[in-house]
Amino acid sequence: MERRDFFKKAMVAGASVAVGSSVAQAGETHQPVDNRKVSKVAFPEKRPLIMYSDRPPLLETPREVFTSRLTPNDQFFVRWHMPNIPTHIDPDTYTIKIDGLVEKEIEISLNDLKTKFEQVEVEAVLQCGGNSRSAFTPVAGGIQWGSGAMGSALWKGVRLSDVLDQAGLQKDAEWIGFNGKETAAYYETPNFVRELRLEELDDHVILAYEMNGEDLPYLNGYPLRLIIPGSYSDSWVKMLSKITVTNEYKHLFFMDIAYRVPDNDCECETHEKKYPTTKPITKMNVKSVIGYPTTDAVVNKDSHLVVRGVAFDDGHGIKQVMISVDEGKTWKEAILDDGRAGRYAFRAFRFSFKPAKTGKVTIMSKAINKLGKEQPFAKEVKWNHGGYKYNGIDEVTVTVI
Amino acid sequence: MKKLLMIGLLSLAPLMAQIEGDFTIPYIDFPVKKAKGAATYQANCMMCHSLGYIDNQGLQSKAFWKGKVEKMMIHFKAPITDQDAKTVIDYLYANYGNGKPK
Repeated sequence: MERRDFFKKAMVAGASVAVGSSVAQAGETHQPVDNRKVSKVAFPEKRPLIMYSDRPPLLETPREVFTSRLTPNDQFFVRWHMPNIPTHIDPDTYTIKIDGLVEKEIEISLNDLKTKFEQVEVEAVLQCGGNSRSAFTPVAGGIQWGSGAMGSALWKGVRLSDVLDQAGLQKDAEWIGFNGKETAAYYETPNFVRELRLEELDDHVILAYEMNGEDLPYLNGYPLRLIIPGSYSDSWVKMLSKITVTNEYKHLFFMDIAYRVPDNDCECETHEKKYPTTKPITKMNVKSVIGYPTTDAVVNKDSHLVVRGVAFDDGHGIKQVMISVDEGKTWKEAILDDGRAGRYAFRAFRFSFKPAKTGKVTIMSKAINKLGKEQPFAKEVKWNHGGYKYNGIDEVTVTVI
Repeated sequence: MKKLLMIGLLSLAPLMAQIEGDFTIPYIDFPVKKAKGAATYQANCMMCHSLGYIDNQGLQSKAFWKGKVEKMMIHFKAPITDQDAKTVIDYLYANYGNGKPK
C-alpha cells in the first residue's frame, strides 16, 4: 500500500514538473519538500513532529499547524546545535552571569529576573535560517527542512537592556556574547556562542522565560532564552547562562562560518562559483506559508473552501497577502487578521475560494510587506551554499472532486 | 535523613511544574546502511551526533562529505584519525553521494 502510494506521488510530482516548466534547469529552486510524515515518537512536551535527529534534537512543525497566529508550544519546531542538553534544570537556583566589560560582574537569579525587573511581552516569529532548505538544487548543505522550521509565540521576559544596565556597560563595550548550556561530546569543541553588536540590540530584544503563557518547553530553551524579534533564530540562544560584553569581535565557528550568505546584493552564488565573501543571515525576508489546505487534500467542487495561512517579515509589517488559483496569472487579496499582535508576529490570513472545476488545482500565497517587498516565485529564488533564506511563493496542490 | 528528604523535595518541587523527573530525550535507532566502512562510520560519527543528522543532509558530492568530516575534525575537534576520516568520507560518498566529485 505504502509502496503504491509512493509511486503515485512520484508520478504526480513528475507530471507537475513537466507542466510547470518545459525545461527543468539544473539549479532551479522549487517548492520545499512537503509530504513528510510526523514521527511515531513524541519528544518531551511535544506532540509527534517531523523528526530529523534525536541528538541533537531536530523537529519540524507540520504544515497544517500554520492556520493560526500562534504556534502551540507542543508543536513548535526544535533545533539544537550540540548533542548534550542538561537533563535537569532547577529554576530556583538557575542564574545568568553577566561579565566582561561591565562596571560590575553580576549573577542574576531566574527568580530575580521574574520579580525585580519590568516584565515585558513580545509576540514574534522564530524561524531557522535554513527553513525550507529542501527547495534548493543543487542540494544545499544542512538539514533538508520543509517549511516548518518556524513558529510564532508570545514571549514574556525582561529587556536585555535592563539586565545590561544592572551590570553597567563600560564605555568601550561593543559586542555582546551569549552562551547557552548545551554542550558537545568533547570538551574541546567550541561552545555555541553568538555575538551581537551592541547597536543591533534594541528594546525589543528580551530574555524570555515564558512562551504562550507557559514556562518555555525544555526543547525550546527552558528556563531562559534570548528573543531577537525580526532576526533568524540562530542567535536566539537557548538555556541562556552567560552574557559577556567585549570590545572586540571574537572569531567563533558559529559566527564566522555557519549561518552566512554571500555578501552581495542578491545574496547568491552558484555551486561552481562560490562568492568569496559572506555576511550573517540576520534579518528575515518576507514569507508566507499556507496551513490549509495541505497538498494532497481532496476537496469538493463548489464547496466553500477557506484557505488559511500565516505571513511575516522582519518587523516592517505585512501589507497584503495575495492568493492565486491559476498558476500565478491572477491574484486576489486575502483577508488579514487585525494585526494587533504587532509587527513581529505571524499575520494570519484567510481566503474564501469555491473550486468550480474538478481536477488538480494549485493554490499560491504571496506576502507583500510595508516596504513593498514581495515573495518571488520559487524558481526565482537564487541559490546560496547554505540553503538559507528561502522565501518563495508558497504552493499547495489539491484535488477537487 | 530528614535533611536529605527535604533537599530531595525542594529540588523536585520546581520541576513538577515543568516535567516529572529528569528530562530525557528518546533514543532513535536510525538504520545504518551496511556497506564497506560502516563500523568506522558509526564509531566516529555517533560519538557526537545521531545518524539522522547525516541522513537528512540530502545526497551530496565527495567534496561536500570531505568538507563535513574535516569540519568535525578542525572546528569541532572530533578525534578522528586521518585513516578513519578517509574511510568515513568514502562511506558517506558511497551511500549518500550524488555521483559528483565536487
